[in-house]
Amino acid sequence: MRRAGNPGRSGHALSLRSARDIFAARERLAEVFGVPDSSRFVFAGNATVALNQAIKGILRPGDHVVTTSVEHNSVMRPLRRMEGAGVSISVVQAGRDGIVDAKAVSAAMRKETRLVALVHASNVSGSLQPVGEILRAARRRGVFTLVDAAQTAGSVPIDLSTLRVDLLAASGHKGLLGPQGTGFLYVRKGVPLVPLIEGGTGSRSENDRQPDFYPDALESGTQNSVGMAGLSVSLAWLLRMGVEKIRRKEMEIMGVLLDGMAKIPRVTLFGPRDPARSASVLSFLVEGMDPAETGLRLERRFGIMVRAGLHCSPNSHRTLGTFPEGTVRISPGPFTTMKQVALFLSALRKISSGA
Amino acid sequence: MGDSSPREMILIFRGTHQVMSAEKRLKGGGVPMRLIPVPRRLTSDCGLAIRINPEERERAREVLAAAKLLPVSAHLLRGEGVYEEVKF
Ligand SMILES: Cc1ncc(COP(=O)(O)O)c(C=O)c1O
Repeated sequence: MRRAGNPGRSGHALSLRSARDIFAARERLAEVFGVPDSSRFVFAGNATVALNQAIKGILRPGDHVVTTSVEHNSVMRPLRRMEGAGVSISVVQAGRDGIVDAKAVSAAMRKETRLVALVHASNVSGSLQPVGEILRAARRRGVFTLVDAAQTAGSVPIDLSTLRVDLLAASGHKGLLGPQGTGFLYVRKGVPLVPLIEGGTGSRSENDRQPDFYPDALESGTQNSVGMAGLSVSLAWLLRMGVEKIRRKEMEIMGVLLDGMAKIPRVTLFGPRDPARSASVLSFLVEGMDPAETGLRLERRFGIMVRAGLHCSPNSHRTLGTFPEGTVRISPGPFTTMKQVALFLSALRKISSGA
Repeated sequence: MGDSSPREMILIFRGTHQVMSAEKRLKGGGVPMRLIPVPRRLTSDCGLAIRINPEERERAREVLAAAKLLPVSAHLLRGEGVYEEVKF
């Protein structure tokens, strides 16, 4: 409990240490994303909380939202909730490869469109969306933008000094390699966001109204400083390593996986075949085999852990044609080795041939 | 400069993040400073404040203004527990 002081609530040594941990995590996060002012990065318990804050904080009755058919439920469910509160939604259908056409997104924008919300890379197919083009189109129309970078933060380079997004949410525990219970929302300066949660911030304590400055405006209650201590360490590692380098390595691994898996009979791949158009996520099915069964065999016989099923994104599966049984998903990371890739390919060959 | 130093200037910021940012900038700019618990006599905007020697005020101002991190208020210690709010 050496790090469990409550930052901003007092001036003693433990409180100070927690404040420093959170500050370090915030500064490093801003550096990873190329933002000079780290106060625009607001911490949240996970990407889901950050996405809820973004969606429910910017939409008002009468607004219209454009989104895609490959969103995670952490975007779709809050949007459906807002639909009940007088917001209308257009869902742009992605292609069978899980990639949405930027022009179709543009065409779906209307006069009353307030927000374009889209995933950077699908957590099912890995498909990277043409976010640059979509963000430019939205900006021209004066429409706010929200990117769900849960699958790309720390794994695909994102430079917010050139990518003009208004809101960007991600988990701390995926590509950023931090502990569970961490996530964040980036809010570009000037984007009007109503806080989802209000309460004690340690600042303006004499005032019973929520402060309007960042990050306090969106960070109420005791923060996860223990998680932030962990996240700040993983971010330091990430900065030393460089996201570009991680991306190159993961693309190389994805290339070997895609080539190898395409040659295995009875294995169907979903998503783009080109690693440059995909994040480090790959879905597949073995013909005639329930994805849960494939997952079970990979783990029981080979110690390979994968996720099998619907991946919290029913619409993505409808888009890929894998609803309702889902897919098996693998996601190589920065510590995955070519030896592990070879082991996986050989395991999959055995499973798919019934050996 | 010890705790009993008769001449010190306390800078109050909006929130913890702003104090931490100010500390980083001041240290980066070579301005001697200390992070301290906010003295109880001053309205506490958060738990922490920055203490500088009043002679460093100009340099501190330059560094903080360049970073758009000017304090909410500045206070000179006039006597035991007696602070005077001053323009920073
Ligand atoms: C694309 C996408 N969005 C959002 C989330 C939600 O992330 P978290 O579990 O951090 O709330 C996930 C993770 O499952 C995801 O893959």
